[in-house]
Amino acid sequence: MSSRDSRASGRRQRLLAAGPSPLALIVLSAAVGLLLCAYTNALSREGGDPTQLVYWAGVLLVVVPIAARVGMEDVSLRERFALVALFGLSLYAIKVIRDPFLFTFPDEPIHAYNANQAMLHHGLFNGNPILPVTSGYPGLASATSALMSLSGLSSFTAGVILIGLARLLLVLALFVLFTRVSGSHRLAGVAVVIYAGSSNFLYWGVQYSYESLSLPLLVAVLAAFAEREAAGSRLARAWVVPIVLGTLAVVVTHHLTSYALVLVLVLLAVIYRLVRSPKPNPWPFAVFAAVLAVGWMLIAAGNTVDYLSPVFSDAVTSIWNTVFGESEARGLFQSASAEIVHETPFVARLITLAAAGLLLAGFLAGLREAWARRSKRPFVVLFCIGGAAFFATLGLRFAPDAWETGNRAGMYLFIGLAFVVAYAVLRLMREGPRQRLREAAALGSIGIVVIGGAIAGWPWDSQLAQPTRITAEGAEIESEPITLARWIGEQLPERRFAAADADARMILAPGEAEAQTGNALAIKTILPETSLSNWELPSLRGNGLGYLVADRRKAATDPGRGSYFFVPGSEENALLPLAAMHKFGERRLGRVYDSGNIVVFNLRNRP
Amino acid sequence: MRGHRDLKWVCAAAVVAALVACLVPWETVRLLAALPLAVFLPGYAIAAAAFGSQRLDPQRLAMLTLLCGLSLLCLGGIVLNYLPGGLRTVTWALLLLLVVLATARAAALRRGKPDGPPSGWTRPRLRGIDIACVVLAAVVAVGALVFAYTPLPASKAVGYTALWMLPPKDAADPALKVGVISAEQGRRHYRLEARVGENGKPTRYHLALDPDEERVIEVPVETPAGKRTQVVVSLYDSERPHQLYRRVTTWTAGSQPGEG
Repeated sequence: MSSRDSRASGRRQRLLAAGPSPLALIVLSAAVGLLLCAYTNALSREGGDPTQLVYWAGVLLVVVPIAARVGMEDVSLRERFALVALFGLSLYAIKVIRDPFLFTFPDEPIHAYNANQAMLHHGLFNGNPILPVTSGYPGLASATSALMSLSGLSSFTAGVILIGLARLLLVLALFVLFTRVSGSHRLAGVAVVIYAGSSNFLYWGVQYSYESLSLPLLVAVLAAFAEREAAGSRLARAWVVPIVLGTLAVVVTHHLTSYALVLVLVLLAVIYRLVRSPKPNPWPFAVFAAVLAVGWMLIAAGNTVDYLSPVFSDAVTSIWNTVFGESEARGLFQSASAEIVHETPFVARLITLAAAGLLLAGFLAGLREAWARRSKRPFVVLFCIGGAAFFATLGLRFAPDAWETGNRAGMYLFIGLAFVVAYAVLRLMREGPRQRLREAAALGSIGIVVIGGAIAGWPWDSQLAQPTRITAEGAEIESEPITLARWIGEQLPERRFAAADADARMILAPGEAEAQTGNALAIKTILPETSLSNWELPSLRGNGLGYLVADRRKAATDPGRGSYFFVPGSEENALLPLAAMHKFGERRLGRVYDSGNIVVFNLRNRP
Repeated sequence: MRGHRDLKWVCAAAVVAALVACLVPWETVRLLAALPLAVFLPGYAIAAAAFGSQRLDPQRLAMLTLLCGLSLLCLGGIVLNYLPGGLRTVTWALLLLLVVLATARAAALRRGKPDGPPSGWTRPRLRGIDIACVVLAAVVAVGALVFAYTPLPASKAVGYTALWMLPPKDAADPALKVGVISAEQGRRHYRLEARVGENGKPTRYHLALDPDEERVIEVPVETPAGKRTQVVVSLYDSERPHQLYRRVTTWTAGSQPGEG
């Protein structure tokens, strides 16, 4: 190196030393990313049509600098840990920014209702009219009610805080787990960032729902388990306490997660045996978790089988029919309510497919290196199996009734995939010729994987916020279904309703009343049809329903889009024929509420 | 617990937080007490009890604190569900406080001897420029949240007006309650017509409402005993005065003599 070069290098190092630390700059970058996301969401709430490029740039400002830093060699454990925490909380804040006023994701009002009922009755297991199985798994309602009772906050604010803590636990537990299994906190940091490429990470996995709490608990139990395995005999006993506590919490919080935990522990027990691990076989934990999960299902959540069996049998039938050509394969980027969904743009589709391709390439590239550690770490085998299974579940996306099963399973399987792919990323970033180029390629790939996952997991037109609360001449007004729900909460003494999916959810929370919807009592059929059969209204009355909410908006049947303001010209704001409303008037039912698109009929008020 | 400074602090903080959560009326102050009391203090105390004299590094301690704290919240409600009082502020505060005190005591007993020299954990050294950068980031993040939480005008969103009618809560009260809620984008003028009985003469009301304003009117109804009378309330927007805008209807039953 010439003296001029060395002087320049020295100058650069002095400048770097005088400037802010990388961690401080990354914190600033994440904050700016959040601001961009808030700005785009605000434009979208205004009813404008902002370019999503700005939004995704905001997401990348959070993801890429953190990915770059955690992937570096000379970063301390403490800094990596802080970066991982920042990563989890910043991406969670993007969801909070999208829905700042109330819960609008499909499952959120259902669980908010459970928490409100726990507060109202000072107890759990109060039943749920839309998703009865949730009442048998009261972990989320219990935790939320604790925060509500102690702070006086609403279920919305308490829920937002609680899920934020759960998200923090998820990323910290992943980091601890990956560090222990790989022996490298550098690899662990990269793997946590890659995990954000799971299609449910950005939105679905942080909605106020029981799985959003149980999955982090499951990962933390696995992390504690991995720590126990590595600890000496004295410390191993100490790790049993969090493992048992976490297992109990998972079992009372979510059915599928508790079964996933049992499955993982059983698989680990088998792997321990196959690789002849010198460590004690974990089968007692598997048996413990299995007994708890089955026991809880039998004692407190007897309707779980009724709830889950159609989901799985439909999935199996759908796969069969799709494979043998008896039914049409589901198109990608298409949800159940396809007729009112905007099309995902070509570039977005391309990014998602590229993400899947990059993950496959990463998995194949990282597999050999990861697999080499299998004899020392049975968890590695589990992760490799999980990663391979993830690609198998991608096939489920082509079967109409199985895609959701595949999508949900992905949240669990992606843990293994992220671990294996992290080996490939670190290999790409290894020192050598054209290192900068390879690092840029790795970071670009991570960006594509995270964005592609988000696009795959959530409808394109729902990535940004829609108006639920707006200002008009200085006052604040809310959308039609929300105003209806608040009116019901304040005025109506009788509180049992039949309503379309989105309206029913708003009636549960914030309306805090009881609503039936969907296939229950044929409500899904009764509401949109243009004439009534003689048995329909007596059936609703006979089942104790006092009111019926008729909504002309087609979006009312879509729990993800039905709570927004009506914006003319948008595809999701198509209306049902007027006859769908008039048929109730023809039966001379009392009309107690009319806001244009929504009319509430009193089923018992007749001439 | 003598000599175990961390455990003493945890117990003292739990007592103060429980008192604040139970006695202070302001939500924000209660939240500052509720979060540690509900999650961090029990989580730390349980982890301390489990690990006794073994020191945990910050990342494992943080994970365990959250895992144990959140698990306790999931399970605590089920315990309270079967105890007298159920899920209330006082019972939650008592349960969590008891867990903190009991597990902190267990931790002290398991640790045995008091605190030795400080652990390997050292406070990070922060430079002025880093602090400035983080403060700026905090300002930007808070700005983003304030931006998100501020409702904005949405000119394309269609405003609406809701009309509602409910029977009186008291059977002795012969008036129906009729309400008009404006969620329109600007001030609107309305004409409200209430007709009692099929051949009754409509009573008219004129209203002007600003966005987010609600007006409730009592419509007197006299129904002959034993008969049912239809009441129809119609709302007209002054911009289209002859076109029906909203309508609500009900059938009222006349009270029998002596019912009051």
